[in-house]
Amino acid sequence: MGSLLNFLIRYSSWFVFLIYVLLSCMLLFRSNDYQRSVYLTSANSLTAGTYEAVADVKGYFALKSINEGLEESNAALLNEVLNLKDELATLRAEVGDSTYAPRFDYVAAKVINNSTRRPNNYITIQRGSDDGVERGMGVVGNEGIVGIVNAVGSRTARVSSVLNEGQHYSVKLKDTPFVGSLIWKSGDPTVAYMTEVARHAKWHKGDSVVTSGYSTTFPEGIPVGVVVARVKGADDNFFTLRVKLASDFDRLSTVRVIRDELKSELDSLETFDFQENKVIR
Amino acid sequence: MKTALQLIVLSVVLVLIQLLICNNIVLFNVAIPIVFIYVIIWAPLWLNQSLLLTIAFLLGLIVDIGSDTPGMNALACTLLAMLKRPVFYAYMEHDDHSDEITPSLSSMGVWDYCKYLLTMVAIYCILIFSIEYFSFADVKEIAIMAGYSTAMTFLLLIGIDSLMKGKREKRL
Repeated sequence: MGSLLNFLIRYSSWFVFLIYVLLSCMLLFRSNDYQRSVYLTSANSLTAGTYEAVADVKGYFALKSINEGLEESNAALLNEVLNLKDELATLRAEVGDSTYAPRFDYVAAKVINNSTRRPNNYITIQRGSDDGVERGMGVVGNEGIVGIVNAVGSRTARVSSVLNEGQHYSVKLKDTPFVGSLIWKSGDPTVAYMTEVARHAKWHKGDSVVTSGYSTTFPEGIPVGVVVARVKGADDNFFTLRVKLASDFDRLSTVRVIRDELKSELDSLETFDFQENKVIR
Repeated sequence: MKTALQLIVLSVVLVLIQLLICNNIVLFNVAIPIVFIYVIIWAPLWLNQSLLLTIAFLLGLIVDIGSDTPGMNALACTLLAMLKRPVFYAYMEHDDHSDEITPSLSSMGVWDYCKYLLTMVAIYCILIFSIEYFSFADVKEIAIMAGYSTAMTFLLLIGIDSLMKGKREKRL
């Protein structure tokens, strides 16, 4: 208490000074319209400036979650677009199917590991069986197809990317009936080959290559790449096209796993032995 | 007691001069004489700092009430009173007797007193015009007004100080 009193006495003139300054300022800003308006506007711009700076910094930290949110909503929107297309096609065919349900569903997933320089490249994603990911599901990026899920854990899954010598994809030239098989040969991660293209198929440089939709892995029409040149094929009845891949595998950050609601039904149908009347295992 | 009386009389006289005469003079549209701050400049250094602050604040407040500028002179006077010691000791040696001085031409010497007086007046003029304009956009106007008013006030206060000296000498 004594030291507090000493402190107060010692610095009394400063306290007196502060009190008078505060009193004067109160008088000044209360009674003078001009000074008050200047004070208020400058105070407001100062506050606004501070808030803006803080928001800028905060926004920078929030970018990651915003990005994830956008990816999720993007997947949902794409899902809706494809389902609406599907529905439209169904309606156009005038099939009054009351049990209609969207066929494809998308799960957004973050890429946590990725390789492009090996003969067989794999991508690890942060979604697993807990999120409904199953082996054999197709995976697409923002630009085009990425690969097929080939191993699933509870929280993560491994995707065999397009850059995998053992993997084949059913593709076709966009807006044509000409299908082929997409393979990749070790080396350039930006180029793949569309093989087994029928000899009479018409193609032009720059034509789009899309998924054919003949499997349950990918819906029809997902971009794969563009034709850059023809390569001489081994078989005279077919030729091979060199395709520049749409996806940039070196910069994959978020992908979407495609879930086909009809997969199990189609799979069991395709393996059904009509003579024995049972599913072949 | 004598100093207290002097201080009161000086305050009353200078505030009256300020309100009745000086506030109505705006020479060349730029120079306003501010004489009442002489009380703060003249106040003896041995005067308690809190007391000096109180006197300064009240002086400013009275002038504010008289000239309808609430808070402006009160704020400037309070700040000037706080700066009095630092300004004084910027030009005078800090020794055992320096605290007994009442700043004037005779006690400080012409050169030192002029420097002290000019600094104090300039500080006050810059403060009061800055508070009045209250905007960095008007720096030029503030500088012109403060410059001319400082010059005019300085000359007037030198005159007042000489009168005070004359009075003191007559009494002696």
